[in-house]
Amino acid sequence: MGKGGQSEGNGAQCEENMAAWLLGVNTLKIQPFKLPSLGPNDVRVAMKAVGICGSDVHYLKSMSCGDYYVKEPMVIGHECAGIIKEVGSKVKSLAPGDKVALEPGIACWRCKPCKEGRYNLCDEMKFFATPPIHGSLANQIVHPADLCFKLPEGMSLEEGAMCEPLSVGVYACQRANASPKTSVLIMGAGPIGLVTLLAARAFGVSKIVVADVDEVRLAIAKDLGATAVIKSSQNMEDVGKELELIKEALGGAEADVTFDCVGFGKTMTTALKATSRGGKVCLVGMGHSDMTVPLTPAAGREVDIVGIFRYKNTWPLCIDFITSGKIDVKPLITHRFGFSQKEIEEAFATSARGGSAIKVMFNL
Amino acid sequence: MGSQGGGDGEEVNMAAWLVSINTLKIQPFKLPSLGPHDVRVKMKAVGICGSDVHYLKTMRCADFVVREPMVIGHECAGIIEEVGSEVKSLAPGDRVALEPGISCWRCDYCKEGQYNLCPEMKFFATPPVHGSLANQVVHPEDLCFKLPDNVSLEEGAMCEPLSVGVHACRRANVGPETNVLVMGAGPIGLVTMLAARAFGAPRIVIVDVDGYRLSVAKELGADEIVKVSTNMQDVSEEVEQIQKAMGDGVDVTFDCAGFSKTMSTALSATRAGGKVCLVGMGHNEMTVPLTPAAAREVDVVGVFRYKNTWPLCIEFLRSGKIDVKPLITHRFGFSQKEVEEAFETSAHGGSAIKVMFNL
Repeated sequence: MGKGGQSEGNGAQCEENMAAWLLGVNTLKIQPFKLPSLGPNDVRVAMKAVGICGSDVHYLKSMSCGDYYVKEPMVIGHECAGIIKEVGSKVKSLAPGDKVALEPGIACWRCKPCKEGRYNLCDEMKFFATPPIHGSLANQIVHPADLCFKLPEGMSLEEGAMCEPLSVGVYACQRANASPKTSVLIMGAGPIGLVTLLAARAFGVSKIVVADVDEVRLAIAKDLGATAVIKSSQNMEDVGKELELIKEALGGAEADVTFDCVGFGKTMTTALKATSRGGKVCLVGMGHSDMTVPLTPAAGREVDIVGIFRYKNTWPLCIDFITSGKIDVKPLITHRFGFSQKEIEEAFATSARGGSAIKVMFNL
Repeated sequence: MGSQGGGDGEEVNMAAWLVSINTLKIQPFKLPSLGPHDVRVKMKAVGICGSDVHYLKTMRCADFVVREPMVIGHECAGIIEEVGSEVKSLAPGDRVALEPGISCWRCDYCKEGQYNLCPEMKFFATPPVHGSLANQVVHPEDLCFKLPDNVSLEEGAMCEPLSVGVHACRRANVGPETNVLVMGAGPIGLVTMLAARAFGAPRIVIVDVDGYRLSVAKELGADEIVKVSTNMQDVSEEVEQIQKAMGDGVDVTFDCAGFSKTMSTALSATRAGGKVCLVGMGHNEMTVPLTPAAAREVDVVGVFRYKNTWPLCIEFLRSGKIDVKPLITHRFGFSQKEVEEAFETSAHGGSAIKVMFNL
């Protein structure tokens, strides 16, 4: 995505397009954001709801995330939904006025992973707010039409923005083969643990145990349908005790599928030990890079570890789950802010704080 | 175990018993009576496995503890002596390779076809179940697989370690488009390499710290060999060398050693969306870059023994797609002195790949 000339639809006078720019560590500024011209398969979208992700906060605090480094000012934000303002010449499926949820990542469709259907692993992926690609916390953005999914009547724009984090939970359930036959353990009741909980229920899982160190978050998990919740600690010595509690909560059995939505040595150790032979541990969280874990005993019980990177082909299913009522994401939206300099700073501070702040949402 | 099978004055059935640490003794071994679906097999070829050596040295292996004297050995083949009343597919004189483990066929794992994970598994030489380094054993008919004329009894015994490689290749989905990296050129790394080739892998790179074992691997068909170290600091450099040797991406890596270093190398060297299969059982706990691997969807797949591999192994051997004979480097007879020497040779590693007893 370049910073091309500003596009003006229909010759009418447009207000300047503003966006939240990450300028340096802990420095966000609302500044003009020039949109590229509209390609034949693109649409121009007025952003209405944008959520804050842990990665957005991480970029704000450290100007990096994993192997990605912010080397020049970048627009932040990627969990979004809005209203179509203008469509490119070849766009048939969408029209101005349509409410859409956006899938952030533009894949190349020429590389091996793309052609094999694993486009989330695309070598040349251009993803909102993963440097050097600008994000979507802006008045308007331009995006390919095929990555904009129409929201049915009755589905709000905030719910549309929630499709992004929900997609992580849905994709994790797919990779780990969650089903009515599998009992599930979820480590971590943060936003990702919670969307994974919601997704698991939608996939028909009936026994879901959630573990976290934070009682407030555990209470939310219980409200959202966890069969049992377990308060855990950050001490490795407590693993044995916690395994017993988990087993008890699962009626004396081990978990068929465990999602580690935290990603530390302790949570992975617990996950590997709590999962039944032949089961799967899905590592979703990105806590620590290196971990010390009992890998061999797990492999020796054919407990496989599956990773996930973002998601693929999940928007239609997420929209389905939400419209049918199988998933209700609204309780996860705990804080709302408008799009002003003061409010974006407050919003990010709230999100970074964690605790009772699950999903912080901008309404534009 | 119950009364000895057979009626007339027979020689006493002898076996190699693990009596205590570093103490093996050839002693009488009473066989159970023959059930309707059982066969009595005269053992002819028995190989030594790393786990047998481990039991000898420590009287335990992972969570299994030898609490009373136990017959050792499980990689075996022999000749049928007698068949039970309901046995139809085998007859005395048949040459067979034995799959060691008797599952329960009542639990969920068995019923779902994952019988290798059966919690009630009775496996040769996994305590408290006696092994098969003996003159004779009694075993279920359905776990004895007839050998074609051109497959020897020693090759029959090799089906057991080969099965580990075959099961690993299945779990990791090795096929004609899979570029394979094997960490470790010991017996298991080598059978895994042979299996991968038989499954169609177009390119196989194998690494080890031991130059001799690497040369064996090259002779057995590795496309490239890379000498590596045991230093964690060398991981990045070795990953580069490996990827260069492969030429293309590494799709599947088999860690047949099982240490932090080998797993770290495996996780870093494998391409996004690929698989790392942990076969080796080196260290219990490992410090590895799990998160970056998971974030590239490099999955970690485990293996526990094998399931439904004997027919395929026998077919690979019959057709010549796999030749295991070069792996048998040392042979011993069944006497007290030779049993002790054989285990010492196997424990020594190095140029000793598979040590085989001929009974």
